[in-house]
Amino acid sequence: MKKTLLVSAAALAFASVASAQVKVGNPMAVTGPIPDLVAPMVDAVNLAVAHVNEQGGVLGQEYVMVAADSGCDPAAAVDAVTKLVNVDQVSALIGPVCSGATIAQATSVAIPAGVVTLSVSASSPAISTLEEGTDLVFRTAASDAYQGVALAELAMASGISDIAVSYAQDDYNAALAAVFAEAFAAMGGNVTANEAHEPDKASYRSEVATMGSTSDNLALFAYYGSGGITLMRNALETGAFSTFIGADGMLSQETIDQIGGENMGAATFTTSASDPSRDAFQAWAALAEAAGVPASDPFVANSYDAAFMMALAIEAAGSADRDGIAAGLRAISGPDGETILPGEFAKAKEILAAGGSINYDGGSGPQDFDGNGDVAGFFSANVVVPKGSETKLTIGSKSYDPEYVWSSTLLN
Amino acid sequence: MSEWLLSDQMVGNMLYVNSLLLMGGIYALMCLGLNVQWGFTGLFNAGIAGFAAVGAYTYAILTTFASGMHIGGYELPIWVGMLAAMIASGIIALAIGAICIRLRADYLAIATIGIAEIIKLILKNETAITNGPRGVAKIPRSWEHLGDARVAEKLPWRLFGEPSAYEGFFREWYPLLFMLTVVGFVLLVYLALEIARTSPWGRVMTAIRENEAAARAAGKNVTRLRIESFVVGAVIIGLAGAFYAQQLRFIEPTNAFDPTKLTFLVWVMLIMGGSGNNRGAVLGGLMLWVIWSGTELVIRFGANVLGDVFPDLSPSVLVTKASFLRLFLIGLILQFVLQRFPKGILPEVRPAALGGKTNEVRD
Repeated sequence: MKKTLLVSAAALAFASVASAQVKVGNPMAVTGPIPDLVAPMVDAVNLAVAHVNEQGGVLGQEYVMVAADSGCDPAAAVDAVTKLVNVDQVSALIGPVCSGATIAQATSVAIPAGVVTLSVSASSPAISTLEEGTDLVFRTAASDAYQGVALAELAMASGISDIAVSYAQDDYNAALAAVFAEAFAAMGGNVTANEAHEPDKASYRSEVATMGSTSDNLALFAYYGSGGITLMRNALETGAFSTFIGADGMLSQETIDQIGGENMGAATFTTSASDPSRDAFQAWAALAEAAGVPASDPFVANSYDAAFMMALAIEAAGSADRDGIAAGLRAISGPDGETILPGEFAKAKEILAAGGSINYDGGSGPQDFDGNGDVAGFFSANVVVPKGSETKLTIGSKSYDPEYVWSSTLLN
Repeated sequence: MSEWLLSDQMVGNMLYVNSLLLMGGIYALMCLGLNVQWGFTGLFNAGIAGFAAVGAYTYAILTTFASGMHIGGYELPIWVGMLAAMIASGIIALAIGAICIRLRADYLAIATIGIAEIIKLILKNETAITNGPRGVAKIPRSWEHLGDARVAEKLPWRLFGEPSAYEGFFREWYPLLFMLTVVGFVLLVYLALEIARTSPWGRVMTAIRENEAAARAAGKNVTRLRIESFVVGAVIIGLAGAFYAQQLRFIEPTNAFDPTKLTFLVWVMLIMGGSGNNRGAVLGGLMLWVIWSGTELVIRFGANVLGDVFPDLSPSVLVTKASFLRLFLIGLILQFVLQRFPKGILPEVRPAALGGKTNEVRD
């Protein structure tokens, strides 16, 4: 008990430090299974905070991001967010990274406390329908439901009528595969097999042999680093499948290097992408490049957009009270109003002060929330071509010079 | 003064202390369960996460709405779910115990690690039942949903009038009520285990732990008693698992039941508090959780101070870096405690041979 008292006294002491600040909680998965993916996302959030503060801050006060660690783990996320909401008294939350952590912290802590969660990368379709009668969970990353449908449309458009589905048994790939299979069947396609595979196995020969007898086409949902490459290689070696489609888990130079670009002529993988011709992407890319943040890495633009939109929402709501923030987010995300590009905080403030309305257009997409707080996604189809003949949607390239590379075209 | 007490900040601080007692209580329950197995009888159970997962999933599936993603929609009352969680965990322990309990210390540890992994793989792959890696969401929490229409429709809640009359009360006060429920169960289990420990049953367990051959020679059915201890411990861990599911309100097999954060953390808690001592088990659970959770605040405070002193350093970047330091810090505290108190902070106190209550002896 003494410890508890000590901690509460200590917590009190911490709280008294704060003054004239607008505080937003930022429980990112800095430890846990994906720290290297999260590090540039944290940088992007901090970049947005710096931009807001350079341009006068939120409501004339300093915009402060209270960082915490959700560890990609439901239990850690609930604990971290309990502290942010109660001890730090944050106005809102910007995103736990993983879907499971996002669902747990929202239903256990944030929704009961009436605090808005704006997730930066949680893509599980379950998040759309978490809450009943409240409007407290938003996200700047598209639900898998969109990518699964985009992929089904792509398969249909390329004349595939029957397909076998194999997915890695993890929350991301399993959810995506379920959406794809449902959408493909609804469009009149025939899903001949729909099987999970355990990640990180040494061989998938029996799996591909079983499924290969049902169709020549394989929809593969896996991470390249944990079994995806092995499965694809086994499928090619045994001749079980000739055509492959799939999602972003397989998109890596590693896939090409290990399987061989000349063997991957009939493989297409989708990923969320930004249209580089959009002004918003150009603005974001310039800001990111100036700060040394990788603009096109997964969910980095989404992280910047989330932190920037939260500042705009509080500014539009006119107060940092928890109650007004959901309405503020809807007000600034459009589609009506004057367009605000990444970094244009002072301009937005001016328009809001004059009683105008704004529509934030982010580096990761237009960021217009639907009724569930979801945004539509933009996706690209990626195929392997010899180096030099590719079309690139994203800027910035690695120094490494391979023989074959991915080539992207925008889907929607 | 009263204004200060009721400020958002003070209420928030109290809610955080509340959550510390709550999670600490859940861990204390797991420690008590492990204490029966390891502290009393010397059974090396390295599959705590597996038994907690059985309890959590049983509770979740029996009490949630129909979701279309996993089997369910039974919407059973919360106490039925918790009872079922204890029974399910106990049955699994009985089945495992019947097969593996004859294994000596480290072999039993290996077997239980394997069983926890098997449970995890079943939960992960039986997607029709558990929704696999996508998990079970919207798990009902004690007290929070008593004002909901679906609960209010059922007897005996109808007797209390329209749900709107008390919905607000439960929505506001459920954190305190839930914490008191968990702490109440900790107390209840503690008292029951204290009686067990000083009873002949508890003394036989100690005899088995210290010298199994002697216990056997004295005519005790050692195998049966070891199974009994294993099952009692598993039932308590299953109950803790049900509370764990209620607090998280979302469970999935991979990250929520990560052995480092359940199995090994609970072991550390018990060893730190004092293996064999029920009070030690409760203390270890509460204390280590307070340290585990509280260090984040301490580190954040330190980062803010550093950020104020050195304007070049960003507190947010410091906190990110320090998150990795946190694990190291906890390890350091553990080292210190174990150096100072090799038998735990509250070492085991053995009951006197003839069941006398006053002349307990220190080991």
